[in-house]
Amino acid sequence: MTTSTNTEPETTPTPYRSHLHPTHAGFPRLLHAEWTKFRTVRAWLLVLVAAAVATVLITQLSASGSVTSGGPDAIHGPDGTTVTDSFRFTHRPLTGDGSVTARVTGLKTADDRSVEPWAKAGLIVKSSLRQGSSYAAVLATPGHGVRMQWNFTHDTAGSDSAVTTAPRWLRLTRTGDRLTGYESADGANWSKIEDVSLSGLPKTVQVGLVLATPGHQDVHRSFGGSSQSSGGGRATATYDHLTLRGTSTTTPWTSTDVGAPTPNAPAPHNARPDSTTTVTDGTYTLTGQGDIAPDQGGPDIVQMSFQGVFVGILFMIALGALFVTGEYKRGLIRTTFTATPARLKVLAAKTTVIGAVTFVAGLAAVAVGYTLAQSTLRGNGFGPPAFPDYPLLENPALRAVLGSAALLSLVAVLALAVGVVLRNSAGAIATVVMLVILPQILSFAFPLPAARWLLRVTPAAAFAVQQGVKKYDFTSHNCLPEGGCYPLSPGNGLTVLAAYTAAALLLAAWTVRRRDA
Amino acid sequence: MRAHHALRPLHAEWTKLRTLPSTWWLLAALVALTLAVGAAAIAPVAADVCPGGTCDEDTVKLSLTGVWMGQAACLILGVLTMGAEYGTGTIRTTLAATPTRWRVLASKATVLALLTAAGGALAVLASILLADALLPDYAPALRPTLGSVLCLTLVALLGLALATMLRDTSGAITLGLGILYVVPLLVTLIPSPTWQHRLERWAPMPAALSIQSTRHLADLPIAPWPGLGVLAAYAAGLLLLAGVLFRTRDA
Repeated sequence: MTTSTNTEPETTPTPYRSHLHPTHAGFPRLLHAEWTKFRTVRAWLLVLVAAAVATVLITQLSASGSVTSGGPDAIHGPDGTTVTDSFRFTHRPLTGDGSVTARVTGLKTADDRSVEPWAKAGLIVKSSLRQGSSYAAVLATPGHGVRMQWNFTHDTAGSDSAVTTAPRWLRLTRTGDRLTGYESADGANWSKIEDVSLSGLPKTVQVGLVLATPGHQDVHRSFGGSSQSSGGGRATATYDHLTLRGTSTTTPWTSTDVGAPTPNAPAPHNARPDSTTTVTDGTYTLTGQGDIAPDQGGPDIVQMSFQGVFVGILFMIALGALFVTGEYKRGLIRTTFTATPARLKVLAAKTTVIGAVTFVAGLAAVAVGYTLAQSTLRGNGFGPPAFPDYPLLENPALRAVLGSAALLSLVAVLALAVGVVLRNSAGAIATVVMLVILPQILSFAFPLPAARWLLRVTPAAAFAVQQGVKKYDFTSHNCLPEGGCYPLSPGNGLTVLAAYTAAALLLAAWTVRRRDA
Repeated sequence: MRAHHALRPLHAEWTKLRTLPSTWWLLAALVALTLAVGAAAIAPVAADVCPGGTCDEDTVKLSLTGVWMGQAACLILGVLTMGAEYGTGTIRTTLAATPTRWRVLASKATVLALLTAAGGALAVLASILLADALLPDYAPALRPTLGSVLCLTLVALLGLALATMLRDTSGAITLGLGILYVVPLLVTLIPSPTWQHRLERWAPMPAALSIQSTRHLADLPIAPWPGLGVLAAYAAGLLLLAGVLFRTRDA
């Protein structure tokens, strides 16, 4: 037995060497390093908490001040959408299959205003005279060509012939539940517009001539509140060659104002005072008003539950920018890059950490804010049936909540990327605020076409994700930025912001590789 | 250097401000951004919104829309005037050279106000000249012009006050941008009339820019000069508070 001794005495002490090759340091380790940096700066945690608290608080304040007394009873279409459904209707019952054909020879205004682009003259098959009942219609419009529309929320464009300048033949046929719309220039060569299926259509339906025109909207815009006055809007349309094929009772054509106080009562109680239908030598002249469209003017109580995000976003911008500019300011960035010479990995780790942290904090804040605001709004009169429940875990609320959290997170990453490029907090914060928030303010001040353009091409488009009411582009509703209306759809809006963030990250990756720290 | 004793801190502040490259970048940004946004705002009016130039748009106000953008540059300039000193530690040298702290703050405010007034005047006049060239029946007015320049100057002073209070550039800029942009955004988008009314009357930003209106003055939530007065009150109040804190705190 021999005692172990140092048989090879050390000549020089070897310095400590990490087992990991610097450039091959694992990504989880980097993530851990960045997460440690984030969580050990107390100010950043405070900012994160402040962001969440401010988001909830502002949302709640905004909701608590919104009160409604209910207003008139809303009308709902077959799929539950709030709709407008009132028009001049010259109709006959049709039992079973059949078709109705007519030529629309003119559509003009009946008051001193210009004719509305979305005025409608054409043929309709409607299950009853009740407002909101299912229907399909082929319609000629002055500004948007020939359309086939059904059940308020569906629209297919036909030819773009304007009814104010050229007469148009229209035909609507019923075969079981299927309704097919046709149009023609000469009454001989017909082209199909659309073939739709209306489930639950009764055996006997009302078919005939339809006339509707939305009111003329005057918008007076100014910062801090724009006023909209909607006035007049009466139109006169002329039709001829009206023929009905199929089984119908022998009653003559009768005229009704759908939406008049008592549509089933005998004339004149079924009409507005200034609505008329006259027939001379086969020419039908209808004068009336109203619209058949989804109602887009009411308050959007989903969107009303996210006002705090506008404040929370400011904190997220500061956080994202400081997470990297702080390192440049204090010189820590040199240590970071010495530890991990693979700079893109550092950027990726920072992006992941700030993106995840802001997403989680943002999600918690908007989910709590949304839930509280919804219950406050219920208490303030925004209740069913006019304002249906929007549960948190179902669309559109779920999409709006997740989308808002994604928005906060994407903006923080955008700020981080801009911070890498500019390497100073003042510039990065100001740049991102001007990209995300300023466009909205400018959109209130700019004339409408420029304002809508601004909300399409800047990251501010992403706020569309908070909209709960689906926007339809075939209505006369004015999409006003100050009314909280964003021209893009929720998904496209968020994509615009994601594209900006991706572009900024690419620029950041390029600069961080080729520059000194 | 034979400047009068009282003018020495002023001269020192001017030297500091003038030798920072960011100052000139920000002033250039002030003019360029104001002009660019103003041009973008009036271009559609000149082109297709109202071809005859006989529309209801408030063209004077529209041509000065760029002030919304330019004020960010003024705010940052104001913040950096004090924030840069705290960031780099020169504040200790400054206070060693001029121990009377209110004089330091007053000198900074004076130099800053003069510089932003000059830059703001350039930006506003350029926007007006451009609108005059593009729009046929454009009638510039004194109140919106002067008011816009004053507004830009007051925003810079607000930035100086915030930076002095917070002693931190990024905090002051975030708070300042919140006051300038997020509050007016909420004023418009908030669905609550109660809070809308409160913010319209008490928040500095949409109120101050009512100075630019030349049409429908009766519809404004606050009249032009009182509106600018709200911003002036905020700037003066915060500057006073900043002065008190500046005197009582360590650098």
